[in-house]
Amino acid sequence: MSWALFRRTLAWNRVRLLVLLLVSVGWGILIPVIYTSFSDAFRQMVNSGAIPRNLMSFGSGDFFSLPGALTLGLQHPLAIAFVAVFAIGTPVAAVAGERERGTLEVLLSKPISRRRHYIVVALAVVLLLAAIVAALLVGEVVGAVLLDVSDELEMAELPLVFANGLLLWSAFGAFSLAASVSFDRAGPALSLSLAYLLINYFFEILGSLWPDVQWTQEYSLIHHFNPGQVLQGNADPLDFVILGLATLIPIIWALVVYPRRDLAAPA
Amino acid sequence: MAEQQAVEPAISTRGLTKRYGKVPALTELDLDVRPGEIFGFLGPNGAGKSTTIRILLGFLHPSDGRASVLGQDVGADSVGIRRRTGYLPGGISLYDSLSGRDALDYLGDLQGLPPVRRDELCERLEMPASVLRRRVRDYSRGMRQKMGVIQALQHDPELAILDEPTEGLDPLMQHAFYGILADLRAAGRTIFMSSHVLSEVERVCDRVAIIRRGRLMALHDVEELLARRKRRIQLRWRGGPPDLSTVPGLTDVSVDGERIGATLLGDVAPFVRAVASPALLDLTIEPATLEEAFLEYYADDAASPQPEP
Repeated sequence: MSWALFRRTLAWNRVRLLVLLLVSVGWGILIPVIYTSFSDAFRQMVNSGAIPRNLMSFGSGDFFSLPGALTLGLQHPLAIAFVAVFAIGTPVAAVAGERERGTLEVLLSKPISRRRHYIVVALAVVLLLAAIVAALLVGEVVGAVLLDVSDELEMAELPLVFANGLLLWSAFGAFSLAASVSFDRAGPALSLSLAYLLINYFFEILGSLWPDVQWTQEYSLIHHFNPGQVLQGNADPLDFVILGLATLIPIIWALVVYPRRDLAAPA
Repeated sequence: MAEQQAVEPAISTRGLTKRYGKVPALTELDLDVRPGEIFGFLGPNGAGKSTTIRILLGFLHPSDGRASVLGQDVGADSVGIRRRTGYLPGGISLYDSLSGRDALDYLGDLQGLPPVRRDELCERLEMPASVLRRRVRDYSRGMRQKMGVIQALQHDPELAILDEPTEGLDPLMQHAFYGILADLRAAGRTIFMSSHVLSEVERVCDRVAIIRRGRLMALHDVEELLARRKRRIQLRWRGGPPDLSTVPGLTDVSVDGERIGATLLGDVAPFVRAVASPALLDLTIEPATLEEAFLEYYADDAASPQPEP
């Protein structure tokens, strides 16, 4: 473990982290507010037939229960954007970005193996992701408590929700880091990582809005993070296995490819 | 056994080869750098200098052959090598958002050794605390290069690998840098430096390797190389040309009125004796330079057929 590298990786993200923690907590608080304010109105609209029920769903969440609303809040594009800063931005900047800037040359001239470099960056990314996922959940719980609807949540399941969320984003982080160690420039690594996230998101949303292709959701990693289901005590171990594999495979790729790559002189 | 260890090369390569696909970047390089010497590695762009350095530091994996640094194999002990080595990359990039001091602290922490030479280097390279407080992004090219030198040498490495170390340094700082190199050599440290600046190599290096198209063309003591160089001679002579036929090593004699030109290889004393006459109006013997040697090696190489890649 290189603590200097670990500390510096975190330090480079500290301002972003602070801003995103505040924004994430705020966003989390907002979800129970929307739920308590509009849940009945949404229900009436669906019951009146004005809007098909499936259009009131978004991904695996909905506004008809607090757990469903929390799922929706965590799968909302805004929440995904918050977490993607650390799941995609930080991994891409930490290796491909440093390579493009030429600073990886100096870093790897120090007595740090590439495997160790990878592991330190990965640990820093997981820590940052854990902070944001926790902030989102804390915000949601705070919102539920403030609005006096916390009894609709099974608080004991929250650690499992956190683990499920962290595993999901670690899978995206691992993919981005694998892309990052595979390219000499940040652009291709960033593009590939964003495409991976967007394809997963597209499958999840498409399946929720169009019942005929609901099967696409099974192919989305995002579908395997379902806080509503977990909070109702119905956590599916298979979700954890799938997300675990989706995390492990890019890690193995990176640990094999990165040390074996030729790092030619920066252009 | 102890004697054997004492003379173990600081850098040793045997048959070191690097190919990118079918394109050779380095071909069967055999090189020994002695401990405690300043070794110059000369060659034009694309000759294979950086490829060699990057293999030594583990950035590139050799296609064939082997290399060791400080007795450690570059493939198996790359981290151990880098712990004992200081490296200045060519055209160094540093962390722009950090102050100079923070950048040196960070790189020193990564090295894991105390920066025992930092203060001295900062003083000699004129990087005072007020400059180190500024962010690296505000530094000029020369200041970045000085930062590169300091980060490479601040932990007093056994071996310094310096890629174009004086690039961007003004003449005063180059002079200071040469002083630092001399002190490192006096302290028993080994310096392996690549350079395009022949006068620099001539001035500071003990030995020089000349590389072209990935192949080692020559490996010499600098003094020996200079002694073997041809010198251009020009003289003005009153009356008929002197008899220079007995001067050993004199060739390419040309006469243009009272001006006589020639090329001399070897000792100048016989020539000086031959022209010691009241008829001599003027005499210029150009000093032997590495540049001439360098160009000769490349001319010879260009004239000979190159093996197909």
